Amino acid sequence: MTGSDLMRFAVNALAQHRRRTLLSLLGVVVGVVAVVSLTALGEGARRFVTDQFASLGSDVLMAMPGRNETTGGLPFAGGVPNDLTLEDARSIERQIPDIQRSVPISASTADVSRKQRSRQALVVGSTPGFRRVRDLQMLSGSFLPIVDLERGAPIVVLGQKIARELFEETEPVGQPVRVGGSRMRVIGVLAGRGVQMGLNLDDSVVVPVATGLRLANRASLTRLLLEVRPGADMEAVKEQVIDLLDDRHGEKDVTVITQEAVMSSLSSILQVLTLVVAGIAAISLTVAGIGIMNVMLVSVSERTSEVGLLKALGATRRQILLIFLLEAVLLSLAGGVVGLATGWLAVEVGTAIYPSVPATPPMWAVWAVIGVSFGTGTLFGVLPAWRAARLDPVAALQGGH
Amino acid sequence: MIVLEDVWRTYEMGEEVLHALREVSEPIPDGEHVAIMGPSGSGKSTLLNIVGCLDSPTRGRYQLDGREVASLDSDELAEVRLHRIGFIFQSFHLVPRLTALENVALPMVFAGIPPAERRKRAEATLERVGLMPWAGHRPGELSGGQKQRVAIARATIMEPGLLLADEPTGNLDTQSGSQVLNLLDRLNGEGKTLLVVTHDPNVARRADRVLVLRDGEIVRRVEGSQVSDLATLFGET
Ligand SMILES: Nc1ncnc2c1ncn2[C@@H]1O[C@H](COP(=O)(O)OP(=O)(O)O)[C@@H](O)[C@H]1O
Ligand SMILES: [Mg+2]
Repeated sequence: MTGSDLMRFAVNALAQHRRRTLLSLLGVVVGVVAVVSLTALGEGARRFVTDQFASLGSDVLMAMPGRNETTGGLPFAGGVPNDLTLEDARSIERQIPDIQRSVPISASTADVSRKQRSRQALVVGSTPGFRRVRDLQMLSGSFLPIVDLERGAPIVVLGQKIARELFEETEPVGQPVRVGGSRMRVIGVLAGRGVQMGLNLDDSVVVPVATGLRLANRASLTRLLLEVRPGADMEAVKEQVIDLLDDRHGEKDVTVITQEAVMSSLSSILQVLTLVVAGIAAISLTVAGIGIMNVMLVSVSERTSEVGLLKALGATRRQILLIFLLEAVLLSLAGGVVGLATGWLAVEVGTAIYPSVPATPPMWAVWAVIGVSFGTGTLFGVLPAWRAARLDPVAALQGGH
Repeated sequence: MIVLEDVWRTYEMGEEVLHALREVSEPIPDGEHVAIMGPSGSGKSTLLNIVGCLDSPTRGRYQLDGREVASLDSDELAEVRLHRIGFIFQSFHLVPRLTALENVALPMVFAGIPPAERRKRAEATLERVGLMPWAGHRPGELSGGQKQRVAIARATIMEPGLLLADEPTGNLDTQSGSQVLNLLDRLNGEGKTLLVVTHDPNVARRADRVLVLRDGEIVRRVEGSQVSDLATLFGET
């Protein structure tokens, strides 16, 4: 019995019972859609989080205002912390030799407008060091020059997307814009970069840090990026920073994190998430598999006399096993393919409606779904097929009529 | 050549022991036409199933063409059923979703014969039973007599030497029944051994020999030409 004979026989048998075939397909489809959309969400969450912190760089410490009780975790505001000031930034750079560069960052949102066009944007206040720490490329013009740290200047570097939306084809460099009501001159446009550290720089504008603090109407920095000299012990430097700030503030009210610490605590959260997703996926595919098994058992018992006949005609056990197994595998594979398409569509529709939820089904999930639905069909198809192959021909022939 | 020696087929159901066949010893030479008669439950089908390698004796020996059937494994049995034996059933047993032609070709699928040759042979065989015009029809669209002729075409497609028919005319009217019987006679005339289980003396009369079973035992052996009516067959001897 050749492969195409088997295939024709199986397809023929499935086509005979359309409603039953469709119902069991539905089970697989639901399972697969669940897998695709859940892994898409999980993958989206993972990317979102890693995008935020992976780009910190392994030789960069990040300090932020607020005490952190759990070591290495994210800060949770407890009480009102002291400000993290420009003076703090300066003394760290001066007093700790292993810190090469201290980059203060303020962040706030403001309207950026030119003529009638206006966009809300993230306003990042920083220093020329920001460009080096973040390894930013310029599309045109130049980045922030060295200006007096406390005074700022009415100049702005635009993210690529903002620049395009405000200026379209016009060259922005040298042109005036208003940022949060202040008139500023565009001195450069950043090359596209995507999301970094939770900041989409394409959607942001960069101004001198003092200007940024004034626009935010705050004295405290949002972040302090500290570039550590290559080869230095990150943990030791981190302790030095914490001690220094403790001295300056009179209490430990600043959280200092390394990329490694953040990533390790995040990865344990993400692992749990992955496990949950995998668990739900496994359950739904098992349910689908049991559905297939059920359908195949019904099919075998309905076709008992047919099995008896096939045996009387000279079919071997192997051939009968393959006939029923192939039906189960076809059912689950078809379910897998339809489910993949539906799941993908669901994710596309979902991200179209909620663009802020970054969901993409990962490629491994696609292959896993195909593999698993093939496996499910085989696993849950074996028992019914085996039962058919083992039927006693005389009893089977009598059984059907 | 079929050789049955002291064949028993016993069913044990709890305490009860039921002998569907007992002490059956019978040689059947190649080419013979044998009718098997007997009241319902006397073991006719059981005997046919054992000869057809679908069932095996609880005790005793069965040799087919000099081979001990008990010694064959499941694949060898399938092989024997495929190439040596053609089955014809009272209830036709056609696969409802396949066309007449596909039903006839089915054994060739299991034999691994390529599609082009399958088609050619199935068409030739359907032609021989006079059903070529119905090649593309499904069993649901055929009359009982036509179905049984499709079944006969299927039983003979692998050119087996042995045809086993279990009440082949039991579900047919007289006219289509005699068409089917003529067909079987013709196949027997071509040298095939033919075993027919029947209740009908008119069917049995066509046979060379008639075996009469009662309670699993062969109680009489008569020549087909001497079958006159049921009373003489089943009456006490
Ligand atoms: N699978 C079985 N289990 C128990 N008894 C059976 C089974 N198959 C057949 N029998 C019994 O064996 C006897 C012979 O059956 P069978 O060969 O079908 O008779 P016939 O074909 O002559 O009507 C009957 O009494 C029947 O009830
Ligand atoms: Mg019977």
